[in-house]
Amino acid sequence: MGNWERLVWNQRELLLSGLNVTVEICVLAFVGSVLGGLVLCLIRLYVAPLRPIAILLIEFFRATPIFVQLMWVNYVWPEILGWPNTFFTAGWVALALQSSGYLAETFRTGIEAVPKAHREAGSSLGMSRLLILHRIVMPQALLTAAPSLVNQFTVIVKSSTLVSVITVPDLMFQSQKIVNIWYEPIEVLTATAAIYIALIFLVSQAGKYISDWLRRTFGLHA
Amino acid sequence: MSEALRQSLDLALFWEYRFVLFGGLLFNAAIFACAAAAALVLGLCAALLRVSLMRPLRWGGTVYVELFRNAPDYVMLVWVHFVLPLLLGLALRTRIEFHPFVSAVVALGLVYSGYFAETFRAGIQAIPKGNIEAGRAVGMSEALILRRITLPQVVWRMLPEALNIFVSLFKATTIVSLIAVPDLMYRVSMVTQQEMRPLPLYTGAALTYFAVILVVATLLRWASERWRRTVLV
Repeated sequence: MGNWERLVWNQRELLLSGLNVTVEICVLAFVGSVLGGLVLCLIRLYVAPLRPIAILLIEFFRATPIFVQLMWVNYVWPEILGWPNTFFTAGWVALALQSSGYLAETFRTGIEAVPKAHREAGSSLGMSRLLILHRIVMPQALLTAAPSLVNQFTVIVKSSTLVSVITVPDLMFQSQKIVNIWYEPIEVLTATAAIYIALIFLVSQAGKYISDWLRRTFGLHA
Repeated sequence: MSEALRQSLDLALFWEYRFVLFGGLLFNAAIFACAAAAALVLGLCAALLRVSLMRPLRWGGTVYVELFRNAPDYVMLVWVHFVLPLLLGLALRTRIEFHPFVSAVVALGLVYSGYFAETFRAGIQAIPKGNIEAGRAVGMSEALILRRITLPQVVWRMLPEALNIFVSLFKATTIVSLIAVPDLMYRVSMVTQQEMRPLPLYTGAALTYFAVILVVATLLRWASERWRRTVLV
């Protein structure tokens, strides 16, 4: 057990700081992907002139591997757009791009599942289109999308391990740093894998609980 | 700024190295094929454990699935490549090293077997009990029931979901460049170091993967829908 103490327990501050960065980057990427996905989906459904662009972007984000996107955002974007200017930003932006493509499709399924009569009922009451979207369509669409949203968050956590490649000091980065100091990978890498597996398991269980609770509370049976 | 844009869209450099780079794509395909075969076999075994009537076997299956389904690809890849050979070496008292290709296939095969297991299980549990009982009533063995009654229906049911997993698996093969399997991404980074022009190379790589995945996935989905319509109602 001496090795575990030396390589894992005594390095806990480094590992925890890495975990902290992992959590930060995942939360930022998730918020970014929900907003991005919503915008892409609304453009695809309601802004006819921009629809082909939205479809192209959604398909591009969905069909390109996350690692390729990460490298692309990290190396190409700063030259073209002058942004993102830190590795941290490049990391979460790439993660957000990938998931926004998937979430755009999730939201679209949710919106299209709302019966047409609901919309018509709204407009017969004199509600504006924006108000109908805000009060009738989106609440139901979000409830339908809840399980996929949770699932997408776990995907983000899994993909976030790749940001260590562009030297963002997340959990994976710190654990590889420890490996490179001692050249004894067994304990550190096993502990890291266990932390990630536990983290993702907890996130998915908690998310499932929350989305079930939302559905029960707001009375949508699916 | 517009100069940078022109450079990144000028894919002549990418085209110049086309043989080297597309050769890398073959590695992606080879790893995908091997890992997909491993994941299907392991996933089916795990799914059969999970629907087994014996409780310890069921628990074993559940632990296996949760373990690998929740493991990030990259973490698994690094663990299999750097830790597993050492553990095996300690157990067998010899020095073992995995070829990066082997590590890539093992790691991706394990992770994706977890996803396939869940899909298989959902497919198996959706089969009406009467079908299996009918098989038993005419004297079929359990293996024959699995082969002739259960699996065909499972395959029909899980095909759309399985195609999604295959797409994810193919996308995941890009990370094998990180343990020095000479795939497309690995070669792109090598050429980048030589030419010092990341813009056209990484843009070309992104567009290549985009085109390949979009075209192949669309064709497969189309073919599978056609097949599903012709085989059953």
